[in-house]
Amino acid sequence: MQQGRDAEGRTGRRTILKAAGASLAVAGLGATATACGGGSGSGDGTVTIRYSWWGAEDRAERINKTIALFEKKYPKIKVKTDFQQYTDFWKKFNTQASGGNPPDVFQNAIGFLRKYDAKNVLLDLGEQVKAGNLSMGGFRAGLEKFGEVDGKLLGVPVGSNSLALVIDKPVYTKAGVTPEQGWTWDDFDAAMVRIRDRAGRAGDSGMYGVMYLYDLYLRQNGKAFFTEDGLGFTEADLTEWWTKAEKGVKTGLYADAKKVVQVKPKSALSAELAGSEFTWDNFTVRYTSEGKSEYGLAPIPTTDGKKTGQYLGSLMLSASKRTQHPKEVAQFIDFMVHDPEVAKIMGYDRGVPATEAQYQAYQPTDPVNQAIAAYEESLVEAGVLETITPHPNGADICEAAFLRIAEEMALGKRSVSEAVEQFFTESKTALAG
Amino acid sequence: MGSAVTHAPATEVPTTDPEPRHGPVKSPRPAALKRRGRRENLAGYLFMSPWIAGFLLLTAGPMVASLYFAFTDYNLFDAPRWIGLDNFSEMFSDPRWRHSVQVTLWYVVVGTPIKLAAALGVALLLAQKRRGQAFYRAAFYAPSLIGASVSVAIVWKAIFSDDAVVDRTQKLFGVDVGGWTGDPDLIIYSLVALTVWQFGAPMVIFLAGLKQVPRELYEAADVDGAGRFRQFWSITLPMISPVLFFNVLLETIHSFQIFSSAYIVGGGAGGNACGPADGSMVYTCYLYVQGFENSRMGLASAMAWMLLVAVALVTAVLFWSQKRWVHYEEGGR
Repeated sequence: MQQGRDAEGRTGRRTILKAAGASLAVAGLGATATACGGGSGSGDGTVTIRYSWWGAEDRAERINKTIALFEKKYPKIKVKTDFQQYTDFWKKFNTQASGGNPPDVFQNAIGFLRKYDAKNVLLDLGEQVKAGNLSMGGFRAGLEKFGEVDGKLLGVPVGSNSLALVIDKPVYTKAGVTPEQGWTWDDFDAAMVRIRDRAGRAGDSGMYGVMYLYDLYLRQNGKAFFTEDGLGFTEADLTEWWTKAEKGVKTGLYADAKKVVQVKPKSALSAELAGSEFTWDNFTVRYTSEGKSEYGLAPIPTTDGKKTGQYLGSLMLSASKRTQHPKEVAQFIDFMVHDPEVAKIMGYDRGVPATEAQYQAYQPTDPVNQAIAAYEESLVEAGVLETITPHPNGADICEAAFLRIAEEMALGKRSVSEAVEQFFTESKTALAG
Repeated sequence: MGSAVTHAPATEVPTTDPEPRHGPVKSPRPAALKRRGRRENLAGYLFMSPWIAGFLLLTAGPMVASLYFAFTDYNLFDAPRWIGLDNFSEMFSDPRWRHSVQVTLWYVVVGTPIKLAAALGVALLLAQKRRGQAFYRAAFYAPSLIGASVSVAIVWKAIFSDDAVVDRTQKLFGVDVGGWTGDPDLIIYSLVALTVWQFGAPMVIFLAGLKQVPRELYEAADVDGAGRFRQFWSITLPMISPVLFFNVLLETIHSFQIFSSAYIVGGGAGGNACGPADGSMVYTCYLYVQGFENSRMGLASAMAWMLLVAVALVTAVLFWSQKRWVHYEEGGR
């Protein structure tokens, strides 16, 4: 009796073990199936590439339209997309890239080229140019050189933009200020006073934290923010820059930092906290949809009345070194930078199109985009444009620290000397890493 | 009976089993039994395996890895480089780190007692028999249900910003601070207000505790002429002290781990993730910045372990202190 029960019991357990085994096997199959589905190749030769960028909804809509065009022309290539806000984009990208799973193709900028090249993430697109999958001809104003670092082609520009002073037109008119190419910093300072006194608004939104503007100021004085491997200015330089800033905040020439912080992610300009703001010229498009006023572009003030230190900045498309489909990625980039239809859809959302073909294809009809085109034209005509050295590894952390510490200084939480000291300490760590 | 057992051996009732499995068994055939025991264990482990795998892969593994990373320089891309205690010494000499410790301690020390006081106060009100009491309970608990969400933090940011509801109300009383979230000194108060507002969970626990206090004690106190305050101090508080202890412990640990609300109210996607001039830079926020913005995973791991040690210490102190103020029915343990 006992024996029989024991045997029965065992069979029972065996059944359970079998069942468990079977379910594990099913789970295993499931996993395999998922793995297959997630892969980017399939039987009929169709490949899927992943494309990610930063920007707002508006840009996403435009980009999706361009992708639809691309997929129509290249039916064997499918594009999977992903987008975030700027800072979130880089956090996600960093995590994906370190896990060996970066998107095949992605939006990139000058501050990240050396950083990710040092980390072995970026594909040298030069090979694809040689193979004929990507053309680097027909770019405007020498832009084809923009994504080159140490002889490697790490990014292809999709548009060009330049730093400008975006102004609230009615405010400037009310104050009776008309900025012109070649105006000096003294003229600018006088304008700030007039805007505060006559228009009842701070003149600027906080330019002391804009790394790219400070870079121009340094260039006007024969220096630069970054050298190839470090900082190109001294503590005395920064002390001068921030001392003036502190005074400007205290006297109401520059906007109250406390309020500027709170309107984020809206800009201080479109929130009517300031009469103007130094930023990229293509941001005028964004400010126009964000704010109620009419916005225009003014030139960068100079030290000597001539040299602005400006260069064309640019968003780029880069590819991952780990991509399984370098050829398709190159074809995709080629399409995005050369196809005239793409330019008609994108407009000046990512700056003025980088290639001559796309530049010709899109003629802006609205005043905002026309102003941007005119502004960039004027830069070319004035012959102020220079070239830029790709930022060193760690530059992005320096930029974030520069902005943050300037803000702390403006909020009165740090004296100028403390702020300068803190910035140099932090950037030394960042640039050494 | 036999067949039922066969199909479901796990439900076997020990008392009806001629050979009980629990307790010492004098077995005539130890080898067969051992085999049977092993099979049973195997089945047990097999059923537990998803959990065990999850624990090893998702909890224990990462913890061990993070302990190792805490002693390395690790940027996610290059292989971790052993640097011994350098992360810890860097941490202690970093003014931003010290600042984050201060902000967190301030938040815990100020926020937790206020939250618990609010929870207890409302629990006392809700413990009384009243019409519509169920509705009030639900209403007061609701913020805790939705409170952890990102959307509430966004709403909170909107409420406390410049020229928003709170700011305008203040202006009516002649106080003009220009919004809390842009002020490095005030933003932390808005976070305290947010955590206090979410007092629902400790409130429910207090409510359960209050229901356990024997009515006779109050009746006896009434007879003795004790007032409401005296009753609360001498009966209610000692009787619910185990519940109070539990809440203090839980909420303190919880406060140390504040992240999402600080991250969102303090800035989130735009610029400085930790509030104006690091005003709301709680510990986990700085940890996140070091790990994900500066790609310093080694340092971030070291910070995480530091937090674990700190919370463990605080917990130990609370447990040590309980014999002085927590009363258990059987005269303490």
